[in-house]
Amino acid sequence: MENAKTLQFERPSFSERLKGMLGVDFYRLFHTPLFYIFIVIAALIPALVSMGAMGEGETAGMFTNAWQIIAADSPLYIVHNMGEYANMNMVFIFGGIMVSIFIGHDYRSGYVKQLFTTHAKKEDYMISKTLVSAFSMVCMCFTYLIGGMIAGAATGLPFSIDGGSLVCAILGKVIMSLGWASLYTFINIIFRRKFGISIALCFVLGTGIPVIGAAALVGNTAALNIFLYGSSVQACLSSDFVSVAVCLMNSAVWAVVYNVLGAVILYHRDVY
Amino acid sequence: MNAIEIRNLTKSFRGMYALDGLDMTVPQGAIYGFIGENGSGKSTTEKCICGHLVPDRGKITLFGRPYTDAGVRAKVGALIENTGCFPSSSVYNNLMMQAINLGLKDRSGEIQRVLKIVRMEDNARLTFKKCSLGMKQRIGIAMALLGDPALLILDEPINGLDTDGMRLMREILVDITKNYGCTVLISSHILGELEKIATHYGIIRQGKMIKEIAASEMDGRSQVYVSLKTGDDRAAYDLLRRGGCNVKFEEGELRVYDIMDTARLSAYLLQNGFAPSELKKHKIGLEEYYVSLMSGKAV
Repeated sequence: MENAKTLQFERPSFSERLKGMLGVDFYRLFHTPLFYIFIVIAALIPALVSMGAMGEGETAGMFTNAWQIIAADSPLYIVHNMGEYANMNMVFIFGGIMVSIFIGHDYRSGYVKQLFTTHAKKEDYMISKTLVSAFSMVCMCFTYLIGGMIAGAATGLPFSIDGGSLVCAILGKVIMSLGWASLYTFINIIFRRKFGISIALCFVLGTGIPVIGAAALVGNTAALNIFLYGSSVQACLSSDFVSVAVCLMNSAVWAVVYNVLGAVILYHRDVY
Repeated sequence: MNAIEIRNLTKSFRGMYALDGLDMTVPQGAIYGFIGENGSGKSTTEKCICGHLVPDRGKITLFGRPYTDAGVRAKVGALIENTGCFPSSSVYNNLMMQAINLGLKDRSGEIQRVLKIVRMEDNARLTFKKCSLGMKQRIGIAMALLGDPALLILDEPINGLDTDGMRLMREILVDITKNYGCTVLISSHILGELEKIATHYGIIRQGKMIKEIAASEMDGRSQVYVSLKTGDDRAAYDLLRRGGCNVKFEEGELRVYDIMDTARLSAYLLQNGFAPSELKKHKIGLEEYYVSLMSGKAV
């Protein structure tokens, strides 16, 4: 054809591709209300938790230390009361819902078609969504921390803790965001447009019910640390650098596993 | 070089074949009209080219490269089924997301450029969900045009548009190929509109390509006939037969095929005592060609 132009196809490098995909995901994250809503929710959860602690009845007196709103005293998988359960781990439950809505909107709006048309490499999508989701959950961890400190002060409970352990606990939880984000991204890739199933499954896994159930059967064993919820519990107020290392290894390994599996699924199944 | 070359493309859904050994060749710079009934496999083909669907087997090359090549795919723009825009975001934000996705340098400038092409430069701040159908289709094309694509794949972009919308869309598509050297693959049911812009056609039925033809070749093959009415059509029919004309009674009217000179035909009838009350020249267009191809009459 006489009007055809001379074409040059430059193959974009991995970093160029990822930059584009991450750029659009972050742009969307900051330009839609979803992220801000969940940031606020994360900040409000400690208030709800502490209200339970301040109240009367079964939940009353479940905290003895204000920092227990952030993390449990020790890595217990067998939960006896809400005080041993309700802490920063709750960010991962709400994080799952946020990730499901975020990725679900890609499919519901059809925008995912634009992404997959111009990005031939499916791993770009997995990595980008995992990193953006992890970033969101890290932000939620920090707003939870701020909300927790305010709520802790409001309860009048003492803020007595070994600083190093507290830092390790918070660091452990923050690091676990990556593993959880990769799991949630993977779930959303499997169920794609079945938005409701993704949310429900992310919620159930985020609560740690399967690990809590396993602990009820096999006891409070360190073997449960291989699961994301297990390592998240490991990041507690008696944490040390070993706990952080466990979280780091666990989170990184699961992130790689879920990203590889997700990319394989996207390569071999219809993406839309 | 061909923009798209597809060989033996097969795609099934739960054992049902949507594409069954499809072959397709789209020359670079063409406006390729992709025609077929509902469910014939047009959208499936387009989705396979864009990497949305994984073919069972077959080979797809774009500009001589495998369709999975990241370099060539970065130069493909698509509007398939819907625009893929976020309804609550503005037109500008939707385009900005795609500009970032493509890694464009001068994003604002590029957004202005594509909005100008689709005649929407004054509507950038409008929320996408508040746009009319015609505007949404044009935004979809603007989105596909970002980054100066070499290949544009458009699935039914004129469906549901009013006459003005269709005319505008036609102008935009011609502009894109003429001034930007883009190859366009466009599927549509509105054959009359397609006929005005397409340089090539591909006709698909039940997942198989049954005909690929250049518009120029089809023009050469197009039959011309003259429909006429006289006081006595039966006698006029006999007269014209005797005179060696290719004449038929079709759809309640007398049709004289392969005749270009209507004045000569009219004079011949008058000389023999038949005053035509109606005489009209027709050309068999894409729609008739498509119908006759589907019914097995055309080749």
